[in-house]
Amino acid sequence: MANTKRYWSGLDELHETEAFKTIQEHEFPETKSVDEFLSDDRIESTHTGRRDFLKFMGFSLTAATLAACETPVIKSIPYTNKPSDVTPGVANHYASTYYDGQDFINVLVKTREGRPIFVKSNGRTGIGRVNARVNASVMSLYDSARLEGPTKGGESSSWATIDAAVKSGLEAAGRNVLLTNTIMSPSILRSIETLKATSNVEHVSYDAVDYGAFRAAAVVDFGINSLPSYQFDMAETVVTIGADFLGTFADSIFYAERWAKTRRPENGSMSRLHAFETNMSLTGSNADYRTMVKPSEQGKVAAALLSAISGNSATNTLSDVANAAIQSAATDLKKSGTKGLVLAGSNDLHTQRLVNAINAALGAVGTTVLFDHEKGLFQGDQAAFQQLLKDMNAGKVSTLIVSDCNPAYDAVNAEEFIAGLAKVKTSVSTAMVADETASRCGMIAPNHHWLESWSDLQIEKNRIDLVQPTIAPLFDTRASGLSFLTWCNADAGMDWYTYLRSTYNGSYAAEAMYTDREWNEAVHNGHMVMGDRVTETPAYTGADVSAAISNVNKRTGGSFELALYQKTTMGVGQHAANPILQETPDPITKVTWDNYVTMSHSDIDAMGLNGFIGQEAPASVVNIVVGDTSMELPVFPTPGQAPGTIGLALGYGRGANGENIGKAAFQSGESGSFDTDAEGNLIPVGANAFGWARLNEGLVDYTQYDVRVEATGGTYPLACTQIQNTFMGRESIVKETDFTSYFSERDAKKGSASWNKLITLGVHEDVNADGTIDALDNKPTAAFDLWHEHAVEDVGHRWGMTIDLTTCTGCSGCVTACHIENNVPVVGKDEVRRHRDMHWMRIDRFFASDYSLKKGEEEGTGVIESYRRMEDPALNPQTVHMPMMCQHCNHAPCETVCPVAATTHSNEGLNQMTYNRCIGTRYCANNCPYKVRRFNWFNYPGYKKFGNFNPAQDSLMRMVLNPDVTVRSRGVMEKCSMCVQRIQSGKLEAKKDGTPVADGSIVTACAEACPTNAISFGDLNDKGSNVQSISQNNRAYHALEEIGVKPNIFYMTKVRNVEPTQA
Amino acid sequence: MQREAAIREPLILGDKSYKDITDDVVGPIQGPAPIGWKIMITISSIIAVYGVGCILYLLGTGIGVWGLNKTVGWAWDITNFVWWVGIGHAGTLISAVLLLFRQKWRMAINRSAEAMTIFAVIMAAIFPGIHMGRIWVSYWVLPLPNQFGSLWVNFNSPLLWDVFAISTYFSVSLVFWYIGLIPDFATIRDRMTKPFAKKAYGLLSFGWSGRAKHWTRFEEVSLVLAGIATPLVFSVHSIVSMDFATSIVPGWHTTIFPPYFVSGAVFSGFAMVQTLLLIMRKGMKLESYIHVKHVEYMNIVIIVTGSIVGVAYLTELFISWYSGVEYESYAFINRFSGPYSWAYWIMMTCNVISPQLFWFKKIRRSLTATFALSIVVNIGMWFERYVIIVTSIHRDYDPSSWGEFYPTNIDIGVFIGTLGIFFTLFLGFARFFPVLALNELKTILKSSGENYKKIQDKH
Repeated sequence: MANTKRYWSGLDELHETEAFKTIQEHEFPETKSVDEFLSDDRIESTHTGRRDFLKFMGFSLTAATLAACETPVIKSIPYTNKPSDVTPGVANHYASTYYDGQDFINVLVKTREGRPIFVKSNGRTGIGRVNARVNASVMSLYDSARLEGPTKGGESSSWATIDAAVKSGLEAAGRNVLLTNTIMSPSILRSIETLKATSNVEHVSYDAVDYGAFRAAAVVDFGINSLPSYQFDMAETVVTIGADFLGTFADSIFYAERWAKTRRPENGSMSRLHAFETNMSLTGSNADYRTMVKPSEQGKVAAALLSAISGNSATNTLSDVANAAIQSAATDLKKSGTKGLVLAGSNDLHTQRLVNAINAALGAVGTTVLFDHEKGLFQGDQAAFQQLLKDMNAGKVSTLIVSDCNPAYDAVNAEEFIAGLAKVKTSVSTAMVADETASRCGMIAPNHHWLESWSDLQIEKNRIDLVQPTIAPLFDTRASGLSFLTWCNADAGMDWYTYLRSTYNGSYAAEAMYTDREWNEAVHNGHMVMGDRVTETPAYTGADVSAAISNVNKRTGGSFELALYQKTTMGVGQHAANPILQETPDPITKVTWDNYVTMSHSDIDAMGLNGFIGQEAPASVVNIVVGDTSMELPVFPTPGQAPGTIGLALGYGRGANGENIGKAAFQSGESGSFDTDAEGNLIPVGANAFGWARLNEGLVDYTQYDVRVEATGGTYPLACTQIQNTFMGRESIVKETDFTSYFSERDAKKGSASWNKLITLGVHEDVNADGTIDALDNKPTAAFDLWHEHAVEDVGHRWGMTIDLTTCTGCSGCVTACHIENNVPVVGKDEVRRHRDMHWMRIDRFFASDYSLKKGEEEGTGVIESYRRMEDPALNPQTVHMPMMCQHCNHAPCETVCPVAATTHSNEGLNQMTYNRCIGTRYCANNCPYKVRRFNWFNYPGYKKFGNFNPAQDSLMRMVLNPDVTVRSRGVMEKCSMCVQRIQSGKLEAKKDGTPVADGSIVTACAEACPTNAISFGDLNDKGSNVQSISQNNRAYHALEEIGVKPNIFYMTKVRNVEPTQA
Repeated sequence: MQREAAIREPLILGDKSYKDITDDVVGPIQGPAPIGWKIMITISSIIAVYGVGCILYLLGTGIGVWGLNKTVGWAWDITNFVWWVGIGHAGTLISAVLLLFRQKWRMAINRSAEAMTIFAVIMAAIFPGIHMGRIWVSYWVLPLPNQFGSLWVNFNSPLLWDVFAISTYFSVSLVFWYIGLIPDFATIRDRMTKPFAKKAYGLLSFGWSGRAKHWTRFEEVSLVLAGIATPLVFSVHSIVSMDFATSIVPGWHTTIFPPYFVSGAVFSGFAMVQTLLLIMRKGMKLESYIHVKHVEYMNIVIIVTGSIVGVAYLTELFISWYSGVEYESYAFINRFSGPYSWAYWIMMTCNVISPQLFWFKKIRRSLTATFALSIVVNIGMWFERYVIIVTSIHRDYDPSSWGEFYPTNIDIGVFIGTLGIFFTLFLGFARFFPVLALNELKTILKSSGENYKKIQDKH
């Protein structure tokens, strides 16, 4: 039916008036037509005046100029179809699992608009707490060195070509070998089984750091091939012989949290930690008693401890100091009985057998040491790997598939591997980047990044942990398991996800994807549990350890012994291209961007080397000779290093032949170009020390008993974030006590205990009303206030934080979490050396000094000389790790001095920094007693000097920046904001729900990352909140309380479990 | 006419008439530029251009081109600022305070001293500007009505007080200097023959005709401005010192700072006047007007202010011990025994010990010794500011952040550059401006001129 509706524009049209008709006849509604207008004679008499002309000219010129200017085009493309679960501006979290051959942990991945930007612990349903390495690992997803597709002979290739080449390679005669690290994925193992069955492939695995002795000792002593699992939460006395279980030792990622549970003095008891070690490790720095022993003595310590526990009085060659420490450790262990725990880090069968004997003698096996708790970690078979190297060099290997490992870099005899690899006819690697090994393989079939791929991991018998993709693969990559299947023609057109599902559900069909409740729940939680854990305690069958004792007692060392170690920040080098981890200072030395020889001050002085490393005070270079190899390395004076020993970190010197493993792995010059040596090769950050590990009884031992150290006279700059190592007796910064003293005053009112007295100042009035005005008349510092109170007490929110110095281990997880969360600029080695690191969150590491003003007075040294001596740490000092960030002072000295009010106090107790308003006078930073303010000295996201490592300067790595946090421009001050973006979003959530902000619903990045829960964040005005109750604890104090700046951050007095005389 | 005791040393040497004074002052302006002047201005302007280049590089790249770091946020920048402001003080003191005290000897030196003040304050003002991270928004320190929201400056901040203090000081000094120049410009105008120069000086002299009414107003305005300028002599450096005194940094937080800074400023200012005038009197043949007596007077001021500064140093040390404050006492122990003790001892030697040599009349009246010591004092005063600023913050409360400051080439370049700009400006002044207040000098010719004193003696 035709539409008969009629539309009209006015009543005139409706009624068709005459006037309307006339108007309709004209083209324009005006009375004059153009012709009429132009034919008007009077038009000639009108004129455009000079001023009008200039006006028109001016306007036209301006308009033309403006039109010629190009407005910046911002390429943001809206969703055509918005994914149902992606809302711009709202973060999504996905449960996943991290495993890189070293660290294993359940994580939550935060994504924004489909980009993973943050990795944190999956505390609710998962196990473990992330460390600095895992935390920062999100960067590697966006590494521009990642391969964009398969390559053959260094040229980009196609999957079909690669697959055909590998398949034909596998058909050739000779050994076909798949070389991997420890594979923990049941599905990948399943695909490997298929590969083995159909293509005559052998599977050899080895680990970058070998833990073979632990398994071998367990086989001998308990008849079970298992890594021991230590239950630190059950232990009362822990003795570690060189095992850095808080930092890098084996599955350390699980241990810090458990150990910290026993270190809360409020529980009424504390575990005690004895450490016998060569290098000052993170664990040693947290030990109650730490004894320096040489690598060759570590086995002897185990033997002596065993004899002390079993009551034998065998003589040994250890020093009196070490023997006394062993006796005291044995006494504590015997007292703890089954709750004692001994572990050793040495990958030496004899030492491990002695440790097993001690634990068995204590009855600790089954309580603090578990063997039935099968962990899939570190199953590498070094013997098989060594055999493979021999076969490769003998030309017996025709095809080699390398997956998830990098033997050309981290094998103990990498040179042999490289030589052997050249003789392998067909070699293919599944590495994501063309690393040392992959670049030498004929082909690379790049694997997905773990954030892009599905996978499953099995760490316990009854548990499968899941890896789920959080972003579509950025490049043309393929899951390594699918590659294996393809190469043995078993993929059957399946995708990897389907294969993975079919591992658990033989009848899996694609339609079940959304309907399988159990699976969906498992993906949601990040893991699935299958049945109960079976616990059985294997019987100790290795009673005779006399052979082990005589073996360890035979060991002798030369003038220097070498202990290789891993840095808490760098691990075994898998993160070499991660600029954030490179810039995170080592928790002990506070050096960034390098490895170096650690040496005791006494040896440094004896050799006449530089004992102070500062901005313009470079480190001395020494030549280290191990057997017939030598390297020139800088020396860093490290308190706590056993005299006569040196330490050297693994994990550095990646890309020594210029392999493209990522820009941050190489040293950059001031002009922004890479530094090169005389031959024009790139210079890697640090030096590779894997070659100095040695094969001992088929296992890799990370020590050398006889090395030579020769001074060269050369120097090398090291970039240190902290150059003053002691706290100069300033007890209002660091408060510490011993457990006995704490216990006797545990119920004291806050501010009255002898170990945490409120700081008061004398006044000239009779405060105590005793009739006289004398030294007893004091008032707390709060009474001396120049300023009006900010109305923050009991009004609205008042965000605050508590930091427990007792449980803080200094692991630096908070540093990296803060770095990523807040887009903190990476500034590189040269700027760090110039004391311009940008960390909002830093960890001050103070070593104790042997000297004090009191001691100086007793000895008549004089104040000046006493202060000078107090600058030097003791040879084997006690250590304090003190996280330090903006204290959000209620009477902030920075706020009063800013001329433009760019830093102000919020009514929620935050010290706010308004970047837009800042003019950059730096007065606030000068006036900050905690020195936490950081100035943008350069345009970090743009200046050429930072081009090789600043994430904001890499078009891919820029993706990792947190869109909730401004990237600061040059010339402005920045500092900890207490993650104000998280506070705001938490408040918004609560507002939407119509409820008050619940305690714990907002958490800062540092508190979230802290594996020991040393950092708590919350609302100090919320009477029921965790942080409020901790802040009322009698251990709580303000750093530098006497200045009266009234911080919102509370520190908790450090309690060491030592005898009162040794506190 | 005022009479002066015969035993007083004459202030104008030789047989000078009014015309001679005019000739001596205006002659160099009219004549061709001497070769020495050409050499000096070439050198100083090359240095100035280099300095400007360093400043442009700094502004283009970021504050990071200086050696500052997370611990030491101010070093050479603010040291130079305080040093230059301090130097400026002598000019105002000479022209304003000595005017009020009717010190006739100031007339020979006040013009150049005031010019020095103006140029030194300009040099000083460069530093607060370029030390900002974002100089392009430096106008935010002015309390301007704006549309950024209700944004206002922070009146609690001593840096803001600085803005007011320095800008007031600069404007008053400039006006005061210029007022004094007007009659002298008129004299030059009257003697100029070339039309352009005549026109230019005519403009500069604001139509001065030398009428009695003009002279009365001139005297009145000078007196009023002297009254306004006198408190500024004390306020400016007091406020500059409050940048430090109101902070909480041990070594900065010191109530003694205002008087200590003011005397230090006068001390360094007079030293700089000596440096400049001893060169100028030689170069421009002004030995009759600026001679040993003037130098001696100034040296006496240097002894007095130098001694005040010395007492202040010792007081600081005593109080740091007497206060019993851990951080305070460490700050001062660190000053004289820490990594920067060399700077402290340079400061002590140059500022406390060296001016005491002026107690010897021979040294006090020796032009060579005075010149050498004036440079020593200038070095010492630069180090005083360096010691106060850098040694206090490089080791303050938290030992974990202790560090050191190392200057870069740009730090040095900018400082040397300001010296270049300063000398370029001063040489320009010496060439085109009446370097002596010639009309004022004429007022004392008959009372303090050597020949007139001799005539007096005869009668």
